[in-house]
Amino acid sequence: MYDVAIIGGGVVGCAIARELSRYHLRTVLLERFAEVGFGTTKTNSGIIHAGQQTTPGTLKGLLEVRGNAMFDQLQRELGFGFRRCGELVVASTAEEMASLERMKADGEAKGVPGLEMWGAQRLRREEPNLSLHLVGALFAPSAGVINPYEFAFALAECAVQNGVELRVEHEVQSIALRDGGGFRIHAKIPSGPGAVPSGPGAVPSGPGAVPSGPGAVQAVPDAASATCVDVEARFIINAAGVHADKVAAMVGADDFTIRPRRGEEYLLDRRLEGIVTRLIFPVPTPASKGILIIPTFDGTLMVGPTAHDQDDRFNVPTTTEGSEEVFATVRRLCPSLDARATIAEFAGLRAVSDTGDFIIGPSRVPGFFHVAGIQSPGLTASPAIAVHVVELVGRAGLPLVEHDGFNPHVAPPARFATQPHEVRQALVEADPRFGRLVCRCELVTEAEVHQAVDHGARTLDGVKFRTRAGMGRCQGGFCTTRVMQILSRRLGVPFHEVTKRGAGSWLVIPMAEDREAAMTEAGATTGDPAAGATEEAPCSDA
Amino acid sequence: MFGRMNRRYDVVVVGGGPAGLAAALGALDSGVSRVLVVEREPEPGGILRQCIHAGFGLHHFREELTGPEYAERFVTQAMDRDIDVAPHSYVTGLAVDSSGHRLVRVLSSRGGLATVECRSVVLAMGCRERTRGAVRIPGTRPAGIFTAGLAQKLLNLDGYLPGRRAVILGSGDIGLIMARRLTLEGCKVEGVFELMPYSNGLTRNVVQCLDDYGIPLHLSTTVTRIHGRDRIEAVTVAPVDEAGRPDAARAWDVPCDTLLLSIGLIPENELSESLGIALDVVTGGPKVDSTLATSLPGVFACGNVLHVHDLVDFVTEEALRAGRFAGEHARQIRRPRDAIALVPGANVRYCLPHTLSADRPHTVYMRAKTRMSPCILRVGNLLERKLRFVVPAEMIHLTIQPELLERFYEDRLQIDLLPVDGGGAP
Amino acid sequence: MTERQEQHYVCISCPIGCPLRLVHEGDQIIEIEGQECNRGAKYARQEFTDPRRTFSTTVPITGAVYGRLPVKLSAPVPRQAIPAAMAAIRLLCAEAPVRLGQVLLRDVAGVAGVDVVACRTMDRVMIAPS
Ligand SMILES: Cc1cc2nc3c(=O)[nH]c(=O)nc-3n(C[C@H](O)[C@H](O)[C@H](O)COP(=O)(O)OP(=O)(O)OC[C@H]3O[C@@H](n4cnc5c(N)ncnc54)[C@H](O)[C@@H]3O)c2cc1C
Ligand SMILES: Cc1cc2nc3c(=O)[nH]c(=O)nc-3n(C[C@H](O)[C@H](O)[C@H](O)COP(=O)(O)OP(=O)(O)OC[C@H]3O[C@@H](n4cnc5c(N)ncnc54)[C@H](O)[C@@H]3O)c2cc1C
Ligand code: SF4
Repeated sequence: MYDVAIIGGGVVGCAIARELSRYHLRTVLLERFAEVGFGTTKTNSGIIHAGQQTTPGTLKGLLEVRGNAMFDQLQRELGFGFRRCGELVVASTAEEMASLERMKADGEAKGVPGLEMWGAQRLRREEPNLSLHLVGALFAPSAGVINPYEFAFALAECAVQNGVELRVEHEVQSIALRDGGGFRIHAKIPSGPGAVPSGPGAVPSGPGAVPSGPGAVQAVPDAASATCVDVEARFIINAAGVHADKVAAMVGADDFTIRPRRGEEYLLDRRLEGIVTRLIFPVPTPASKGILIIPTFDGTLMVGPTAHDQDDRFNVPTTTEGSEEVFATVRRLCPSLDARATIAEFAGLRAVSDTGDFIIGPSRVPGFFHVAGIQSPGLTASPAIAVHVVELVGRAGLPLVEHDGFNPHVAPPARFATQPHEVRQALVEADPRFGRLVCRCELVTEAEVHQAVDHGARTLDGVKFRTRAGMGRCQGGFCTTRVMQILSRRLGVPFHEVTKRGAGSWLVIPMAEDREAAMTEAGATTGDPAAGATEEAPCSDA
Repeated sequence: MFGRMNRRYDVVVVGGGPAGLAAALGALDSGVSRVLVVEREPEPGGILRQCIHAGFGLHHFREELTGPEYAERFVTQAMDRDIDVAPHSYVTGLAVDSSGHRLVRVLSSRGGLATVECRSVVLAMGCRERTRGAVRIPGTRPAGIFTAGLAQKLLNLDGYLPGRRAVILGSGDIGLIMARRLTLEGCKVEGVFELMPYSNGLTRNVVQCLDDYGIPLHLSTTVTRIHGRDRIEAVTVAPVDEAGRPDAARAWDVPCDTLLLSIGLIPENELSESLGIALDVVTGGPKVDSTLATSLPGVFACGNVLHVHDLVDFVTEEALRAGRFAGEHARQIRRPRDAIALVPGANVRYCLPHTLSADRPHTVYMRAKTRMSPCILRVGNLLERKLRFVVPAEMIHLTIQPELLERFYEDRLQIDLLPVDGGGAP
Repeated sequence: MTERQEQHYVCISCPIGCPLRLVHEGDQIIEIEGQECNRGAKYARQEFTDPRRTFSTTVPITGAVYGRLPVKLSAPVPRQAIPAAMAAIRLLCAEAPVRLGQVLLRDVAGVAGVDVVACRTMDRVMIAPS
């Protein structure tokens, strides 16, 4: 039996897992998708908010400011992409300037450091491409941008290295109370072709790893191509994001509901790099939904997000209306942005709870903890949430005994593209795989793809979000087959069983299968091969 | 020699597609002897290696070849004439040293990060495909959305089908050819959807690839939404009005497991951009003079990296010339500076080269903005020619003889495509 | 007396794609127009009497740099024979080295004189990529 099972491998679940891995505990992290962070964590604005914009007095506001302050150390330990670029909330009227003054006072009360009011002149000098109609701004230097998926990957890797067991492609379907305390969690795992190797050993375990699967009971064949396993744990932490109410309902602890709120984001071509250098926010008004300009960590610009409620918790489409709304809004802030520069678009779901605030703490079922309603600024708050939750679970009886072997560090990936000539040369000399190019747009080499696999990538998207292969202008036109080949070799599965992001997201069908079918067909009829397959008739006689 | 890369060359060619190979041969023709072709793939041949259909070489060889056959002829010639080809090698940058030599940075697993010295460089990097982001198709982001070229590579080089039931967006030649190819391999093609009121491909491909196989072509129709969670399950398609706006009221859903995008090509100029080479906003390729020299001295461009070609024969012609001028440049032979700007006028989307000189014949390539039939092609007041039929998808080529330019004293020559009464632009 | 009728074709013999009009009375061709060169007339006559097509595809190959070898028909076959030709090619499998123009199958789908030939040379490579 595990001491703790965390349900949901988003940034919140991963941060909690790492926090728990500081202690002598047996912890399992259960994630539905093939990789961690493939829920909302992968599809957001990637901002580490300063905190001056959130309503004072909320849990959200408290954990946001606390979380922000933790990122410098986390970045040093985990090596994910993070830069404090600062943010500007820009005003176009005198009334808006007045509300910025109020925001500044609120922020200072919450402990947001370094807030400054800028007049039109300062604003123009610092960000010359913004609209000439703007009259001033509130500058918050502590805001930053992050590659959120890298953060989640690194948190999970660090947790695993310190003994947490990660089980991907484990979809929790039901939870039963065990006689004598604790829970039995029933999870669906895929099997058959297309199943990504997962479970114990899926991510290479570090020095502190515990022997695999103490709590895994048995695997039983289930419907279609799926199998189920049971996992037992004394405590459950429900970090299932937009599904947190459904998971809570499995134990009858559903005292809240989650309403998904979709946000669409549009990523722009690299040639717009440097048009703005800080995060640009409009003054939040009831009418404006807060559509921003984001200079991402990787140097591309992103604009968004929209905010629209939807019922579907799985399909997260972008829409024509969304795109129009985004570009109409940001062009008022920065006229040279243009929808035609879009190279990719995506949408994510905010897990909006009916309280409007984060719901963190024990539920009415003893041992079952909620970490729910973690909408924006959940990414910013996540490390603070983790500390807070572990404290609460500790108070509820989980013994927290630190183990000295805790290693807070994971090695950051070696990025060939960002290195100067000499370093590149040294890299290729040390490992010739740095000399083999995989993604031409982002200059990603074979060595980096291998590293990504070493660090847990199991899918095309997993490699993409770890290495940037496929994120550039050609969006995978060049690198897809190369990455698939490496994955196939490394995972020991046939090429056609490599998926985009786990079961169901298959990519290709082998033609060899077709040939075998044709052979049997032809053999079954006559000796003359040509006579066998005429009914396939691809040619119309029209 | 295949696989050999020395430290010093007269001419280095970036990219071993048909343009790169012809440029290398052109350079030899000009009298230089040391020529290197750098190619990032395992072998030269470029995109032609995956274009297994016939339709290449009618102009250059007067016979109809498949892409691999056309490529092999040039590869064989290059090998026979002792051109060095470095495969698995990627050009990451270019610098100029104090003595005016160009330093080409080549990345490969065998040679590490090598620096090759030369006098002239020919850019022949080809093009890449436009992606979903470029046309902003809303919806989910499932697996099963491929650019047509990627699907073609999977199918023709690697031996994998992209799916069993496909929708193709875009009726350019690549889309049409892939429709037939997939059908022959047992994949059901639900239809080819085209935003414009006419196909962007050659008529022969509409006949041979769609009509023959009963594949519907839906003109003035586009994909407006992608559905499916893990793998694509359907697309919504809708007719568009004249301005290209979809009519949601007449939209319908097409179930499919694959969406192929054949929505255009863009010259691959990341390298050129990083060198500060001036680009033409319309072609997306470098601005070149009549020797196909770019704004960076000693650097030439040809093939799809210069402008997207529809026929490889013209790529070859252009590249042979670029190679010859690059070779001359390496031999320190200088041509007179061009004195005439060539500019696109009415109904001309672009024309190349950007400047001309009066001392020799020029091959001019251009594209029309719209479909016209018949029309008059007018070059300033020097030349008028009647054309039966022009479409944006088919490049127009024209030779301007020096006799015409000898008595031309202006500095600007404009090319127009003018409607003829009874025909004309829609 | 049979009535005079017309058929419209698009010449596919070269990329120009001339629109052709063929006038006939029964099997008798009266007139062909629209062609820019005489291959067009030939094409219309062929389409009218015996429409033929060619195509290219790939066959699996072992020991080469890629897994597929492009092949084509050495001459067009009657249009109806395409499915049978395709089915026959589907049974082929090549092994490197293969030379450009090498015949892999003679008289495909029973059409005399039409062979399946390799469209490129593929050398044997030491390590086949996975
Ligand atoms: C458009 C948008 C922009 C945003 N921008 C920002 C921003 O700039 N800054 C910021 O701080 N915050 C931002 N946020 C909010 C932030 O993204 C979220 O608060 C954060 O990612 C939440 O993380 P999570 O781990 O709770 O959720 P998720 O990442 O969704 O993780 C939940 C995980 O639980 C798994 N799961 C669910 N059900 C089950 C089950 N039954 N069994 C097993 N696993 C299950 C899911 O697969 C998922 O991986 C934004 C959100 C959106 C939508
Ligand atoms: C699907 C399709 C169908 C076509 N059909 C026909 C047809 O029927 N008839 C016809 O005549 N034409 C056809 N064409 C057009 C013709 O094939 C192309 O115009 C021609 O191949 C372009 O040649 P290129 O050498 O410029 O580019 P490419 O063939 O793309 O070659 C460029 C080469 O450069 C390499 N490269 C790029 N960057 C670097 C770098 N930094 N370092 C090293 N190497 C690099 C690439 O790997 C590639 O091999 C078709 C094209 C396509 C895509
Ligand atoms: S008639 Fe001649 S020019 Fe016209 S399409 Fe046929 S072959 Fe080409």
